[in-house]
Amino acid sequence: MSVVDSPSAPPAEQPPAEAPTGGRARRQRRSATSGGFAPLVLTLPALLLLAGLLGYPLVRMAVLSFQSLGLRQLFGNLPPDNVGFDNYVKIFTDRTFYEVVARTVAFTVVSVVLTVVLGLGVALLMRRVAPSVRIAMIVAMMFVWAMPQLVATQTFRWLVDSDFGVLNYLIDLLPGVDFANHSWFADPWQGWTVITTIVVWAGIPFIAITLNAGLTQVPKELLEAAVVDGASVWQALLKVTLPILKPLLIIVTTLSVIWNFGLFTQVWVVRNGRPEEEYQVLATWSYSTAFNNNNYGLGSAIAVVTVLLLLSVMAFYMRQMFKIGDVD
Amino acid sequence: MKRRIAVAATLAATLIGAAACGSNSDSSDTPNAAASVNGAGKTIKVWLMVDAQSGWPEVVKQANERFTQATGAQVQVDYQQWTDHLAKLDTTLAGNDVPDVVELGNTEMPKYVFNQAFAPLDKGQFENSAQWLTGLSAPCELDGKTYCVPYYAGARVLGYRTDLFEKAGLAAPKTYEDVINAAKVLKEKNGSDKQFSAFHMPGKYWYAGMAWVHGNGGTIAKKDGDKWVGTLSEPGAQAGLTKWAELAKTFYSGDPTKDENDQAAIFSQGKTGMMYGNGWELGAAQEQPKDPNNPAGDKVKTKVNGKVTGVAMPGIPSFLGGSNVAVTAKSKNADLAAKWAQIFTDTKSQEALIAKGALPNATNLLDKAAAVKGNEATAQAAKETWFVPMAPKWSDVESANVLQNMLVSIASGKATVPDAAKEADTKINEILNAS
Repeated sequence: MSVVDSPSAPPAEQPPAEAPTGGRARRQRRSATSGGFAPLVLTLPALLLLAGLLGYPLVRMAVLSFQSLGLRQLFGNLPPDNVGFDNYVKIFTDRTFYEVVARTVAFTVVSVVLTVVLGLGVALLMRRVAPSVRIAMIVAMMFVWAMPQLVATQTFRWLVDSDFGVLNYLIDLLPGVDFANHSWFADPWQGWTVITTIVVWAGIPFIAITLNAGLTQVPKELLEAAVVDGASVWQALLKVTLPILKPLLIIVTTLSVIWNFGLFTQVWVVRNGRPEEEYQVLATWSYSTAFNNNNYGLGSAIAVVTVLLLLSVMAFYMRQMFKIGDVD
Repeated sequence: MKRRIAVAATLAATLIGAAACGSNSDSSDTPNAAASVNGAGKTIKVWLMVDAQSGWPEVVKQANERFTQATGAQVQVDYQQWTDHLAKLDTTLAGNDVPDVVELGNTEMPKYVFNQAFAPLDKGQFENSAQWLTGLSAPCELDGKTYCVPYYAGARVLGYRTDLFEKAGLAAPKTYEDVINAAKVLKEKNGSDKQFSAFHMPGKYWYAGMAWVHGNGGTIAKKDGDKWVGTLSEPGAQAGLTKWAELAKTFYSGDPTKDENDQAAIFSQGKTGMMYGNGWELGAAQEQPKDPNNPAGDKVKTKVNGKVTGVAMPGIPSFLGGSNVAVTAKSKNADLAAKWAQIFTDTKSQEALIAKGALPNATNLLDKAAAVKGNEATAQAAKETWFVPMAPKWSDVESANVLQNMLVSIASGKATVPDAAKEADTKINEILNAS
């Protein structure tokens, strides 16, 4: 996760960037002439590991998506049947697919916008508060970050439980409000609000800490100059701070899109491993199809489609990464 | 991304496992429980559900001891959770290192029997096999062969608070109208408490919803030629669903999207008048283990201790739940496994089970069960039961939550009974007839 280190890189226009690039180029030339296959051999262990851990499953998944594999094949060690594009035809002719995609995209947009805006807000706040408070904020956020999703979600599920939840209890204490045994999941809008809250809550620390690091690179002189020239706080933020933060913002946003698009744990846990239709997203739908209904081929095909849908986002992310690498 | 890869990796691991074990010897041979196998030094692996661990560990212990005495082999029992045991079983059975004996819920069985996960057994070698409860043994049968052995049964009853009934001057309900009338009276007397439910009926409780369907002459699906047809839109089923919805909407004040898993805990809070549950749930509502991680340890009494009793739910046949044990087709100790299943389900083990409040696997033992205090209601309820359609793909209907989702949309008012039933029928047709 090189993103975490990148904040030291951005001040994009800094001139000394030239020299190291030249140096690296020289080194590369040297090694190309003298070393022969040495670089390849050195990267081989890493490449093999990646091929084994990421490449092989991905290829298997792609192959499986063109096959029909059920329990009988699994138990009897029979070869799966090849069914061509049947699984894909099934997906694209299923109304559920379009609903699930629309729901996943809507959730991603809402949750990412909320996470980034709130994360930026927290990062800006961290620049303003006393150092001791800042440290307290970082520690608190590290705890949120370090907490396994499963544990955090399980805790939230208890908070909003209709019978035993503390949230209903507290709201019910307000005079004139009846929240006893209120169900947070009967109405999908409320249910999705809960799920989005959990995801945003868990997503803020990474963004706030990263952007805070980025903010330390915004030259004070520039801000001072802007203020002397009569810029308001908003103008200084929009015209000075954000442009400098832009590469970093783009990266954390893209990463959040990739992560939130694959939403699984939160939905799975709050819906007790049996998400209703209005709570299905691509990842849970794929899993339910493959492992609950034992239709591994169709489940893989859904996963492949999910990968393809994300490909454009990932390509964009890669380009940004290389751009930053170039500047470096 | 990470998650998708994780899923893919699991899948791949499964496939590697499947590929690695190559051609297993086709075990068309029936494991013989009577074979005199010297099991010394061998250990068979048994997967039982947590109920045995929390409800009747002694039954397992005595069976294991007798088994070891008879064969010299050891038994390793692994307890499984209901929520994830099927996914775990699927991946395990795809590999080579499989458990020898597996417990499955009776509704889960047909899919595995149909997909050849289990070895056929010689029915005659098991005690009381002529009197097995059909709700348990029917899912074990395929093409004239028997693939599993009934282990225990469960029936659901009406549980109610005797103190609240007494205070309101109500007698034990004898007809369905009595139940509704009692719910009305209880609601009137205790309704000032917003959390009070006269009848606990969460929306995902499909064993209840479908019991109402069967009690009014309906069924879930039937076989028409070689096709399965969902029948929830037919008049009997509609009447049952409507009655169920009236009860759930009028007398249950909790979350309509909940399932029945925590109903004993909710009942123990003292804010519920009646509930529809298993016999053991009535016990769990009155007594909870002090340490949840040690279900066999000391118990603490709840608020409703001694104030709960059960009767067979009038007018509503009970779903005959329960479990079966089967010997896996890939088991390397199939004879020993069959022997263990034989001991674990014989009359002696069944009598130990009865003493713990579970229902036995055979009709000739039901009267014995009825004589045990606290068992009267469930044993009575077990005499009039219903069961799910015997379609090979039935458990896919369960895991796709078709019935739960239908009931939730009815109970939460999102859909009318006919609309919800029509949608469920369509899905049931699709799933049961899928190739």
